[in-house]
Amino acid sequence: MMKKNLIWVGLLVFTFFIAATASAQAVRGVTDTEILIGQWGPQTGPAAPWGAVARGTDLLVKMINDQGGIHGRKFKYFLRDDSYMPAKTKAIAKEFVEQIGVFAVVGGVGVATGMTARDYLMENKVPWGGPVTGVYEWIHPIQKYLFAVYPLYDDEAFNMTGYLHEKLGFKKIAMFYQNDDYGKQGVMGVERYLLKHKIKLVEKVSAEVTDRDLSTHALKLKNSGAEAVIMWTNPTGAALILGESAKIGFKPQWATSSTLSDSALMMQITRGLWGGMITSFFGELPDSNHPLMVKYREAHKKFAPQERWGVFYYAGIIFAEPFFEGVRRAGRNLTTESWVKAMETIKDFQGIGPPITYAGIKDRQGGKHVFYGKVRPDGSIERITDWIRITK
Amino acid sequence: MFGQLIVSGLAVGACYALLALAMVIIYKTSEVLNFAQGEMAMISTFIAFTLLDTYQVPFPYALAITFLFAIVLAIFFEMVFLRQAKDPTVLGLIIITLGFEMVLMGFVGWKWGPDQRALPFPVSNIEAYTFYGLIISKINFWTLIVSLVLMLILFLFFRYTKLGIAMRATQQNQLAARVMGIRTKWIFSFTWAISSMVGAVAGMLIAAMGVLDPPMMMDPLLKGFASGVLGGMTSLPGAAVGGALLGVIENLFGGYVSLSFKSVVAFAIIVLMLCIKPSGLLAKHYVKKV
Repeated sequence: MMKKNLIWVGLLVFTFFIAATASAQAVRGVTDTEILIGQWGPQTGPAAPWGAVARGTDLLVKMINDQGGIHGRKFKYFLRDDSYMPAKTKAIAKEFVEQIGVFAVVGGVGVATGMTARDYLMENKVPWGGPVTGVYEWIHPIQKYLFAVYPLYDDEAFNMTGYLHEKLGFKKIAMFYQNDDYGKQGVMGVERYLLKHKIKLVEKVSAEVTDRDLSTHALKLKNSGAEAVIMWTNPTGAALILGESAKIGFKPQWATSSTLSDSALMMQITRGLWGGMITSFFGELPDSNHPLMVKYREAHKKFAPQERWGVFYYAGIIFAEPFFEGVRRAGRNLTTESWVKAMETIKDFQGIGPPITYAGIKDRQGGKHVFYGKVRPDGSIERITDWIRITK
Repeated sequence: MFGQLIVSGLAVGACYALLALAMVIIYKTSEVLNFAQGEMAMISTFIAFTLLDTYQVPFPYALAITFLFAIVLAIFFEMVFLRQAKDPTVLGLIIITLGFEMVLMGFVGWKWGPDQRALPFPVSNIEAYTFYGLIISKINFWTLIVSLVLMLILFLFFRYTKLGIAMRATQQNQLAARVMGIRTKWIFSFTWAISSMVGAVAGMLIAAMGVLDPPMMMDPLLKGFASGVLGGMTSLPGAAVGGALLGVIENLFGGYVSLSFKSVVAFAIIVLMLCIKPSGLLAKHYVKKV
């Protein structure tokens, strides 16, 4: 009887030991052959053109899988439409973690949307690489598992204002922005620069994402006597304000952020008014001869010929490249911690986006550079600067 | 600036008025608020876009085909969805229109994708006329003219034609209208068809003034609804006046009070009107059916 009991106790201890070892080794979303990753993005609704980003990441995933994956593991990619609605994003983040069990989230358009998921993902120690916005919310306070790629809007706007003032000599500068965190961080940069140089912002006009009548906005900008207007808005807002301004004969020098750098799309929806726009860019131009761009364009033809090769689309590659570089550097023994450590070793890594550096455990802002381009009347882009470091 | 704000307000108000008219036409006949009105207009505009841009169909033919599509769509919806509703209540029918709105939004997103587009239009949205120092763009000017003409036609139609009177009779007392030999089912289909056509005109004008994309009617539809409430949901002239007033009030508020709160003016008006004069400015009386 005693011997029988001992066998049972022994089996029980052995079972506990195996289970404990297994749970210690298991990494959510990582198997011997697969890594599960997810991304949300607006495939419908007013911000839907930015949804191309998430589909662009899909192209990179397909390319990597086609080449055999990374360290013997292929990627399974889950794309979900949040329609740019924060409530949906939170639900998607929960689905990613609790139902699908992803290893990481890559990309994700939107500040308000991403903010509903940030704390939840961090509490669950889910790696998040390259949120598709350049705001402070991703890096202040430092989130251990979150690595930003997008150059900061605040710094981008600060430098853009400097470019207009110092290089082009504009003294009367106005601002048109979207009334949310994205737009407001653009305003922050513009005002910071002007305050530093004791220049007055001649007008500051905001619009809601859903606004379709911007005639009053254009009139206010015109009445301010602005020589240059910086806009921090979405594609529809940009097209509407340009149209309304043209109607009343207001023709300042327009400048805008990298979020509107898809000049092919912008030329088309503004009926040519986009010509002359000064834009900052965080990635190679669509027709660039950069070897990686050539490779990606070929993959685009092979895996996603139905997609338009535009900036928003291949931005999905830009935001995901550092994440995959981290997976490469982490090696075969991929865990959340090994990925974080690997990411922290990235210095001057450059794919088709800006140079990426994470200077140790206190720096989660990878992209610190942009360059400027001017849209020609035919819609092509003239690159007018080299990469400029905007975040010190 | 004051004059310019009025002119711009009237132009955008004309679009609100058209949408309000489209809603009022249906509401007058069936007391149903059609929340799919915006998306019905949007899909018709996408049809116009495909004809004009992809197939290079001359504008008058494209317009005619678009109207035909708008009519077929409306009759299809009325006959297949609304008429089949079991023991329909007004609320139930309104919910059906909400469902249809979502179906249309999803369909357009799937068929045409989410990217914004520019609707080819015979009138420039950049060139402008100048009257006594006031600038009015050609598209705004013609929007005003088209809207006024359309409103006049509708007004005359409802006032003086047999069909128009039959439609009004159906709204006032469906049973009595049927007893008097009016084919009320046919009247409902016809009402939806006219409303859909007016909506299509509004959709094309709004797209021509700005951009064409699936959510393009979300904001204008709400403003159209506010215009209807302001002028009176049972009054055609009320819808026209409500649209013009709302466009002007919004612009003046944005110009002189606060641009940030310009977009909420419409909702404040809805609340105010429902509290002060629920029947609207021009509706003669407010009848609640029991």
